[in-house]
Amino acid sequence: MTEMGRSLPRLEARSKVTGRADYVHNMRVPGMLHAKIFRSTIAHGRILSIDTSAAREMEGVHSVLTGEDITRVMAKPYFGPAFHDQAILALEKVHFIGEPVAVVLADDPHVAAEAAKLILADYEELEAVFDEVEAVTSKAIVHDELKPAGTFADLKHLAGRRNTNVTLDYQLRRGDVEKAFAECDHVFEHTFRTQQVLHVPLESHASLAIPGHDSLVIHTSTQTPSFVRTEIARLLGWADNRVSVQVPFLGGGFGAKVYVKMEALAAALALLVKRPVKIALTMEEQFYTISKHATTFRIKSGVSKDGRIVARACDVWWNGGAYADIGPRVAQKTGFTAAGPYDIENVRIESTEVYTNRPPAGALRGFGVPQLVWAYESHTDMIARALGMDTVEFRRKNILREGRPQATGTAMRDAAIDKVLDCVAERMNWTAPFDRGAGAIKRGRGVGIGFKASISPTTSGAIVNISADGSIVLYTNTIDMGQGSDTGMAQLAAEVLNVPAESIKVVHGNTDVAPYDMGTLGSRSTFHMGNAVKLAAEDAKAKLAALAAEVGLPEGTNYDVKEIFRKRYGMQAGNVVGVGTYVPRYTPPDPKTGQSDNVTPFWMIGGTGAEVEVDTETGHVRVIRLVNVADAGKPINPKICRTQLSGGAIMQLGFTLTEDMVFDGGQVTNPSFADYKIPGFRDVPVMESELVTATQETGPFGAKGIGESSTFGVSPAIANAIEDAVGVRITELPIRPEAVLRALRAAEGRPLEAV
Amino acid sequence: MIPFDWVEPASLKEAVSLLDADDSTVRPISGGTALMLMMKPGFFVPSRLVSLAKIEADYSSIRAGGDGSLRVGAMTSLAELERSAAAIVNFPVMKGALQTLSNIRVRNVARVGGALAHGDPHMDLPPLFATLGARVSVVGPDGTRDIAVEDLYLGYYQTVLKNNELIAEAIVPPLNGARAAYKKITSRSADDWPALNMGVRLEMADANTIKAARVVLGAASERVTRLAQTESLLTGAIVNDGLLKRVSESAAAEARFVSDAHGSAAYKRELLRVYLPRTIKEALS
Repeated sequence: MTEMGRSLPRLEARSKVTGRADYVHNMRVPGMLHAKIFRSTIAHGRILSIDTSAAREMEGVHSVLTGEDITRVMAKPYFGPAFHDQAILALEKVHFIGEPVAVVLADDPHVAAEAAKLILADYEELEAVFDEVEAVTSKAIVHDELKPAGTFADLKHLAGRRNTNVTLDYQLRRGDVEKAFAECDHVFEHTFRTQQVLHVPLESHASLAIPGHDSLVIHTSTQTPSFVRTEIARLLGWADNRVSVQVPFLGGGFGAKVYVKMEALAAALALLVKRPVKIALTMEEQFYTISKHATTFRIKSGVSKDGRIVARACDVWWNGGAYADIGPRVAQKTGFTAAGPYDIENVRIESTEVYTNRPPAGALRGFGVPQLVWAYESHTDMIARALGMDTVEFRRKNILREGRPQATGTAMRDAAIDKVLDCVAERMNWTAPFDRGAGAIKRGRGVGIGFKASISPTTSGAIVNISADGSIVLYTNTIDMGQGSDTGMAQLAAEVLNVPAESIKVVHGNTDVAPYDMGTLGSRSTFHMGNAVKLAAEDAKAKLAALAAEVGLPEGTNYDVKEIFRKRYGMQAGNVVGVGTYVPRYTPPDPKTGQSDNVTPFWMIGGTGAEVEVDTETGHVRVIRLVNVADAGKPINPKICRTQLSGGAIMQLGFTLTEDMVFDGGQVTNPSFADYKIPGFRDVPVMESELVTATQETGPFGAKGIGESSTFGVSPAIANAIEDAVGVRITELPIRPEAVLRALRAAEGRPLEAV
Repeated sequence: MIPFDWVEPASLKEAVSLLDADDSTVRPISGGTALMLMMKPGFFVPSRLVSLAKIEADYSSIRAGGDGSLRVGAMTSLAELERSAAAIVNFPVMKGALQTLSNIRVRNVARVGGALAHGDPHMDLPPLFATLGARVSVVGPDGTRDIAVEDLYLGYYQTVLKNNELIAEAIVPPLNGARAAYKKITSRSADDWPALNMGVRLEMADANTIKAARVVLGAASERVTRLAQTESLLTGAIVNDGLLKRVSESAAAEARFVSDAHGSAAYKRELLRVYLPRTIKEALS
């Protein structure tokens, strides 16, 4: 037992910083064509005609293909993890500005890009809808009919629905909310909004499809190789084993690269032209590929005189954009926890996802939970202030403690919510006097705490292969996209097999050799794949012991592994292959009440404390300190856990203060990273990352996932700190200085002119 | 990208001859950081780019005059200027200001001449140099002319430079004891184009009395602008809270603001109101 809790430097770090690590973007194969996409310029419309003649005639162009061409190799070219709603290239209709309509293939990507500009499309424009609340009742209907993919049981009831934009209508009922509101001492209601934002992996989506004899190899930047294989095989009507999905390292994923993105298009094109085809999106094309849901959240709480939250009603609207992607699951999974990590007897939750004519929204680090925490932790702070209570004390009084049932009815297990809150307060020195600033600069501090149910129920498989020299290869379809999974998985296998983790080779992301994995997403890998790796390593260890017994070695022998193989096979030959598959137990929630006795395999807990300085004359907010605390169970690699916490918090800092997809009639008006601003070094405050002492009993050696936990509390902690500093409340993200100044001036009774 | 000609003349004179007075698709390129942003989305499609990378090395030099002035070759990178002892000893305001011009990757590549000639009102070097009273020496087919930096700009991306004229160098006159300060105020991330930038240069008659003032505003308006009324209010005035309040109101009334992604005109007016006194105080501190 030496590998657990060891802050081993990342195994792949050296190959990355020396430029040796492989990425799909760098791959070239003989005969490869480059694809460039022609995109819709209208938000909603019927395609009347597509004129590709000028593009075809351009020198160097191999071919120009449209949605009709795709149907020659994929008769029903619609894909998606939740709904089969996304055409590989638009067919009949376009649903957002930026939707792929046609593709140019050329040997030279610059020629393809130039030719794509020559394509002309004629549309009959249809009424469009952009707002998530309006879309529930709007006349504009984005898709004529709902087509659930059939993968998720809780979406099946939506099949065949027409004249609606609602892609999911989740509800939860616990106790009697209306009665509690009527009987309690105080009722508070607020509405919060979040903006649509982007993942911004520094490597954009890239897929390279190579056709073979009745087969296809796809090198792709995906977080979900097993899903991609099955989905491409389904589209082609092939057996899964004819499709090979291979994934090198990813230059970041954050949920942008889950399920099918460019793979279906690359596959169809490669089969159509019978040559390898590569699609490598530009950074700017990320604006039209996948994003994070904009939301509106109306939250209402009933509170007793002594500061107990007795009832909470949550109405959340999710702006899913033009394709469902995994959005309905975002609305459903977040529905479990929308009322926050508090012990509340009476809860009503409605979580509604809608189609709109914006670029699609899907999974992004936190899977909707940061949008929820933004609202419920802002709201919770506002209640405490209205009651004249300390904001941390108010939370402590209501916090959901171990063993108590959460809104879904599932009792909390291995969920160190109270410890995380205590740790944040302690690190913030909460009870000590605080410097309030001087002159125009006022200082304030705030906290935010959130929790998330893990994805469920999903499967991971792993193989551990011990060679005759005793060296070990671990095969897994968990993708290392910068989060350090190769290192963590090697540490788990090493712990079981009693070897140093750095001696293990990790082969990741190859559906030809590694077993099924649901995906590298939702902070599920440490727990799910970690358990599978542990099982595989234990299986290998048992088989090795059996082999030793077979060759007559006494039990517990310390013979060199090489000797065992040599004795058995007469030379250095043979293998021991251990296999592990893990799937946790789960009770699906009752569709009417959302109640379940086992709604998640584990809980993720994260809390943030923020200290800010607000310039009362300009509205500028400077975050000067961020304390991020999480429950990682027993961390496998504490250093990687801490960098996950700081990385997640910086990402959410961007979503809080600077990042914003700005729209004008469905058109993104800032589609470049010169105008869509992610945080830079000078925006990053002093960061502290802390893990509380905890154990996840069902996790591998007590560990659990942590990739999203620090995204939860950042936004409300900052807004709460702003109110603490200057007494104004911001309810909409991002928090830009002008909004703060406007709020300050409105509060002073001398509002700033509108323009 | 449509193929275009790429030429690398060995002299400034040759570079000028390869430009075309009547063809705006022929452009000079130095660092290229701004031009690339226009070429990537297709806002600018060149027929020929005249690279200045190989012109005489002299245009990449920084020279301090014995009188405290500074001559900066047009091909000097922003990072070289920021690290130049001559620049920061003679002009203390430059050090901090230049470090905020853009991120270090851009500063390593972008050139002084390009930053002055581009005409994007959100850039910081033009108002900084205008504040310091800098002039540029411009070379064209008919010879050399001398233009004050503040007079270079006509409007949004519009300058007085002809298509076949090149900035050869910038000359910053000595401070001679004048006090200067520069502020860049962003409203999104710190590494962003400014919502507003401004500089003041004050020649003092004594510790509290201003003899002459330059007040320059950028980013918030269509072009780099000297605020003449505000300057005349400052000239000969004694610095006190009342004066700062008056000039703050004067500047807010005098300047013209444009609403954009960085903020509304009303907000930018407020920023100027707040930052003018702050900048003057910083200059005098």
